[in-house]
Amino acid sequence: MIYTIVYGFTIGAILYFISIGLSLTFGTMRVINFAHTLTYTMGVYALITLVALFKGYFALVATLSIIVVIPISYVIERFIIRRLYGESLDYTFIATFAISLIGVDAIKWIWGVNPYPMSDPIGKYLMFWGLSLPIYRILIVMIAILLFLALNSFFKKTIVGKIVVAALEDKDGVRCLGINVDKYFSIVFVLGSALAALGGVLYAPISSIHPYMGLSILLLSFAVVIVGGMGNLNGTFLSAFSLGMVMAITARYWSQGAETMVFIVMAIVLIFRPIDI
Amino acid sequence: MNKAPASHANHLNANPMKEHGFIDFLVITGGFLLITPILSVHRVTDFMIFCIFVMSFDLMYGYMGRLSFGHLLFLGTGAYGSGLFIRYISGNPLLAILAGIAVAGLLGMLLGLIIVRTTGACFALINLAFNHIGFFLVLSPLRQITRGEDGFGVSASTLGFLNFSSRPIMFGFVLFCLLLVFYLLKRLTSSPFGIMLRSIKEDETRVRFLGYNTFLYKWLNFALAGSLAGLAGTLTALNYNYVNPNAMDVHSNVGVVFASLIGGAGTLYGALVGGVVYMVISNFLPIYIHRWEMFLGFSLLIITFRFRKGVWGYILSLWESGIKKRLLRRPTEEVANR
Repeated sequence: MIYTIVYGFTIGAILYFISIGLSLTFGTMRVINFAHTLTYTMGVYALITLVALFKGYFALVATLSIIVVIPISYVIERFIIRRLYGESLDYTFIATFAISLIGVDAIKWIWGVNPYPMSDPIGKYLMFWGLSLPIYRILIVMIAILLFLALNSFFKKTIVGKIVVAALEDKDGVRCLGINVDKYFSIVFVLGSALAALGGVLYAPISSIHPYMGLSILLLSFAVVIVGGMGNLNGTFLSAFSLGMVMAITARYWSQGAETMVFIVMAIVLIFRPIDI
Repeated sequence: MNKAPASHANHLNANPMKEHGFIDFLVITGGFLLITPILSVHRVTDFMIFCIFVMSFDLMYGYMGRLSFGHLLFLGTGAYGSGLFIRYISGNPLLAILAGIAVAGLLGMLLGLIIVRTTGACFALINLAFNHIGFFLVLSPLRQITRGEDGFGVSASTLGFLNFSSRPIMFGFVLFCLLLVFYLLKRLTSSPFGIMLRSIKEDETRVRFLGYNTFLYKWLNFALAGSLAGLAGTLTALNYNYVNPNAMDVHSNVGVVFASLIGGAGTLYGALVGGVVYMVISNFLPIYIHRWEMFLGFSLLIITFRFRKGVWGYILSLWESGIKKRLLRRPTEEVANR
């Protein structure tokens, strides 16, 4: 049972990393960002390329691969997403989906279709009360909680964060104050993409790596965002961890049904609380 | 929006509907017969089935303005419904087709109760979620019946002259279905029901404010689009003689969205043109261009930024501007002649 809880927290942490970016982009820009799959997968592929160069320095490699993703996401924001502000949701959805198609095909071109194997970078286990828990998973959960606290203070204490929170509430109001909202939106977008890459980098060693890996996790993150509420930061945190737990508990009894159970939960939530977006 | 004057004109003439419909039938039949010698009978049958599917998608996206990213669920349900009917109950192909449509329609009614409440991105995503659930159900828990990943063969028995293993007869039957669906949708979209759908697309709040029960219309339309997709599914099963979970693979949904957009959403001819263009691209492009997904992505981007009306919309607007020029020119010429 302890294993299940640890597993659930790990999945929840990964889902949190990925869905926070989605939630922020939706809340501020009203864009459903399918290109998140691309930034997530790019992070992972940057990681496996860099791991071959610097063996043994996982933390360094992980940081580098997140930095690699930042310019890519800036380009996407500047040339595609920025033109889509105020458009109907269908077109933003289709355009970002097209970006992810292009990006994933480029990844297939460069790295090939075959899955890459990768092992746990720490590989040690924490022993207590006769249980052996992988330290790496515990580390992921710790990072998620630290990130949650850091993001909370970022949005409450710093000027940039405050402007973003204000834009989540009322975009036009912020614009009326003479603040260039677009600049802050691109910061938010790049931040979200970097967090998706962080999620990918941390999840890669304990999952399988292939060009389409982003799609299924993105669907799960959409479920998280819908359950937690679009643009609601605390709600995203809670729903990520509770849906992670749902997945872990389902997987314990019925391993194939884990992802489906998340969607069933999402459907139930949508029945009782339809969101008009 | 272009339809309104046309339907108005129909009321003025004595019996124009038949003539107009007849021209449509000639154009569609002629068009598909023309491309048959270039491609092959089997391929064109496949294209026509896909066109039926695109039209059912267009009923929801083009006319009602709800983008679904999980419409393949209904195609797959139709395919499995008719396939399982043939496998376990009876080999009669017409009954199997009816069974497939009925199952997909029932699923549409059931899911519609939930899905139709949402709009925009939520609608797309919840469809995707249900498609995922359906794919999973077929793949794993219902493995005893559906034989999981392997799928199963479908061999319908011969009914009179309807021998579905013969390619020309399959072609003719699919063409008949296509024309039937086209006629049905043409009537439907120019009826008050269709006008209601387009009004919901424009502004649902106002329609509700006028006292209409928009939920009912959306629900009916969702079920109808589902059952038409189910028809496309049954025809797919009969055409390929087997069913497997790929029929409702979540990742293939982009195809129908792309087809609908490239042809021009919101017109029936647009759906036909888009279906054929997409099928030609996806069937023949991978032979010449290895990175065809990238090509698809770039063309989707171009469509969203520059070419929103699609091929058919572009042709229509060219034609209309041509007419306008002629109409504008005529009075000036008359003045000049005087």
